[in-house]
Amino acid sequence: MEELIQELKEHIIEVLNLEDMTPADIEDDAPLFGEGLGLDSIDALELIVMMEKEYGIKLKSPAEGKEIFKSVHVMAQYVNEHRTK
Amino acid sequence: MGIVSAIGLDTTETLASLRAGRTGIGALTYLKTTHREFPVGEVKLSTEEMRQRMHIPENQPTTRTELMGMMALEQALQQAHVTSDEMAQAAFVSGTTVGGMDMTEQFYPDFLENEQHKEYISQHDCGACTESIADHFGRFASVTTLSTACSSAANAIINGANLLRSGQREIAVVGGSECITMFHLNGFNSLMILDHEQCRPFDATRAGLNLGEGAAFLVIETEASAQRRGAQPLAVLEGYGNACDAFHQTASSPEGEGSYLAMQEALADAGLQPADIDYINAHGTGTPNNDTSESQAMMRLFGEVLPPVSSTKSFTGHTTSASGSIETVICLLAMQEQFLPLNLGWQHQMDDGITPVTNQTPQRPLRHVLCNSFGFGGNDSSLVLGALPPAPSTTISPTPSATTPEVSTSGLYLTAATQISIQEPLSEQWLESPILYEEPYVRSLDPDFKQWLSAGESRRMGKLLKRALASALTAMQQSGVELPDAIITGTGLGCIENTELLLSHLCFEGEENCKPTPFMQSTHNTISSLVSIHTKCHGYNATYAHKEASFDGALEDAWTQMQLGRIRTALVGGQDEMTPDFFKMLCKTGVFGNPGQVAGETAVSIMMSREPSAAALCRLTAVKRIYQPTAAELAAEAKAIGAVDAVMTSVAGTADTEKIARAASLFPDTPLLQFKNLFGDGFTSFGLGVYTAAHILHRQQLPEAMLIPGYEKPQALRRLLVLNDINGKDFTFAQLEIDN
Repeated sequence: MEELIQELKEHIIEVLNLEDMTPADIEDDAPLFGEGLGLDSIDALELIVMMEKEYGIKLKSPAEGKEIFKSVHVMAQYVNEHRTK
Repeated sequence: MGIVSAIGLDTTETLASLRAGRTGIGALTYLKTTHREFPVGEVKLSTEEMRQRMHIPENQPTTRTELMGMMALEQALQQAHVTSDEMAQAAFVSGTTVGGMDMTEQFYPDFLENEQHKEYISQHDCGACTESIADHFGRFASVTTLSTACSSAANAIINGANLLRSGQREIAVVGGSECITMFHLNGFNSLMILDHEQCRPFDATRAGLNLGEGAAFLVIETEASAQRRGAQPLAVLEGYGNACDAFHQTASSPEGEGSYLAMQEALADAGLQPADIDYINAHGTGTPNNDTSESQAMMRLFGEVLPPVSSTKSFTGHTTSASGSIETVICLLAMQEQFLPLNLGWQHQMDDGITPVTNQTPQRPLRHVLCNSFGFGGNDSSLVLGALPPAPSTTISPTPSATTPEVSTSGLYLTAATQISIQEPLSEQWLESPILYEEPYVRSLDPDFKQWLSAGESRRMGKLLKRALASALTAMQQSGVELPDAIITGTGLGCIENTELLLSHLCFEGEENCKPTPFMQSTHNTISSLVSIHTKCHGYNATYAHKEASFDGALEDAWTQMQLGRIRTALVGGQDEMTPDFFKMLCKTGVFGNPGQVAGETAVSIMMSREPSAAALCRLTAVKRIYQPTAAELAAEAKAIGAVDAVMTSVAGTADTEKIARAASLFPDTPLLQFKNLFGDGFTSFGLGVYTAAHILHRQQLPEAMLIPGYEKPQALRRLLVLNDINGKDFTFAQLEIDN
C-alpha cells in the first residue's frame, strides 16, 4: 500500500504538471480538490485518463471520480480493489 | 439558404425530417474510430460520394468539411440567385474549428516522416478550408474564418451582418461547416460529455451530447440590395449579441451569465422585449452543465414570458462549429412553415430547468425567434430572426436597412501595442538594435511569466497561452483601459503544441490515450477566452483563424464594430507558435524554409479606442481586406489609400521579390520597408507589422534593418501603410498616421 501511495503521488504530479511539488508535499489523507491541493474539474478528468492507462480502471462519470479522488489514500484503496493491470 | 446535416442534404429533406420527428442520430458508419459505442449524427454520404457529387477532380486534395460546405453553399447561392458579378462584391465569412483535421489525423505520421499525402498539409488549417469552399464557386470580394468553437457559424453570421450594416458590403454569404473527426470525438470523450445513448436535451436523465456534422450557409444582404436585385427576402436578421461567459474553458457558469448577456444584447439590438419572442432554438447540447446553465439564463431573462424552447440537436447531433448556421436555417424553416421544432427524447422534467416543446403546433404565430449558439471558452452568441409576411418564395435573409455608419474621419486610436516574439519581449528597446537572425526557424524570447501567473494557474498552460496573456495584460495596463469592450484575436493554427500532442496520442498511442487538456487548448479560441476568463471580461469575444490573414480578420472586426459604435475599446491580438514538427511539415508545402526566410513566433496585443487620446501611439485610418482582386481592383485600392511616407511590405526572405515588385508598382516612388526580417514569418506576423508601424510613428525612429536595398529611406514618418500581400491572392491594407 505504501508503495502504491508513493506511485500514485508521482503519477498525480506528472499528469497534472505540478512542477514545484514532490511526493512528500502531498499528504495521504489531505483532500485533493477544493482546499488541499486545489485541483479542479479538468484535473479530475486527467486523473480519470491516468486511472485507465496505468491501472485499467474505467470510470463512467466525473461524479464517480469525485468520490474516488477524495485523497491519495482513498484513491490507493480503490486502485487496490479494482485494478486490472 | 443551404443546409447539409444528418437529417437531410437540403432544406426539403431537412424540413421533412423535422416535421416527421425523425432523428438523424444513429450508429457510427463513416468515421474510422474504435469508439463504436457512441451514437452520432453523420451526414449520410461517404467522403467519396460527396466528392463525386461536387465533381472534385481526383488529384484535388479536399476534406470532408470542405465538401459539406460546398454542398450547402451551392444551394444558398442558387436559391438567392447570386450572379458571379454579385459574388465578386460579396463577403464570404465561414466558421470552422476542425478544418482539415479529418485528413490530418489520417496522414499525420506521413506528414512527419515522408512525402506522401503532403498536399493535405496545406488543407489542414481553418482558412484553407474556407478558401476551398469559396473558390469552388468563383471569386468573393473577401473571405475570412471565425473559429470560436461551437459558436463559430453564429459569429460568422454576426461578422457578415456587421460588414453590411457598416456599409462595407451589400451582400455577405455566411455560415459554417464541420465534419466529425476522431480528434474531437476523442476530445469530447476525454471531457466525459458524450452520451452513450441518444442525447436528451433538457431531460433530467440527460448524460451528454451526441456529435453531429454538417454545414449551412445563408445569403444576407441589405434591404437596398435585395430591392435592386428583385430578391424576395426570406426573413430579417433583426439583431444579435455576443458575450463571453468568462468562467471556464469548457464549462458554462451555473447561472449562465454569458448566455444571458448574449440573449439580452440580441433582444436590445432587435429593439424587442422578451415577450416578443415566439420560439427559442436553444444551444441545448444535452450535457448536464449546458442545459442547466442555459435554462437558468433563459428563465432569468424571460421570467414569466418564457416562449417555447427546443434543442434541435436531438435531430442533428451537435454539429459543433456549424451548429449556429444549421440552427438558423432550422429557425427560418420553422417560421416559413409556422411550426415548432420538437425536442426529441425528452421525458423527465429537470428540477432546475425549462420544459421544452412537445407539440409542433404553435400557440401563436412565429414572428420573432431567438437562436442560441455557445462555444468553449464561454463564447456565447445569440441571433434574433424575424418573419416577413407573406410566406416568401425565395431565400434571402437581409439585415434591416443598413444603419448609416458613424464614419469617423480621424480614425481610431491605438493606445498601446505590445509583443512577445523573437525580439526583446514587452519592450521597444529592440528598435535601437534589433537582433538579426540567420537561422530558418527561431523560437520566441520569453519573459518570466511568474509576474502574471501563479504556478497553479500556469501549470496547464502552454507557452503560447502565457505569451498571449502577458502581452494582453501589459497592453491593457499601458493603455489605462481596465476592461475593453471587445477581445478579438487572430491565430492561424492556435496552440499547435497541444494539437500535435493530441495527434500523437491518436496516431501513435491509440485513441484511449487522448487527454482533456491538450484538446481544450487545441481550439483556436482558447487564447481569447483565456484573456477574458483571467480579466473577467464579459464583452464581445471572437477569434479569427484565416491563414496569414488571421490577425487581419480580428483588426477588420474591431474596425467595423467601432465604426458602427457597437464597441468603444478593443484588445486586438495575434498569436501563433511554431513547433519543430509543424515547421518541418510547413517546409514541405513551401510556407517556410525559403531562402533568407525566418520562421518566428508571435504574441502581439494592440489596444484600440474610438475616443481621442493624447497618449495614443497613433491613429488607424484605414483597414481594407480584398481577396483575389484583379490588377485593376488592386490598383484602385492602392489609389484610394493615397500618398504615404512608406509602405511596410510583408516580404519574407530574399527570394520573395514578387511582393516587392507588386508593392513598388502599386505605390510608385514610395519608400518600401520590411519587418519580417526582424520578427520572422508566421501566420499572425502581420500584427507585428502593425505594432512596429505604431511605434515607429510614435517614436519617430526607424531601424536601418527595415530598409529594403534599392529603395530610398522615408523622408518623413507621418503616415505608414502596412500591406499584407498573401501570395498575391489575399490582401490587407492597414494605414496608420500621426498628426503633424
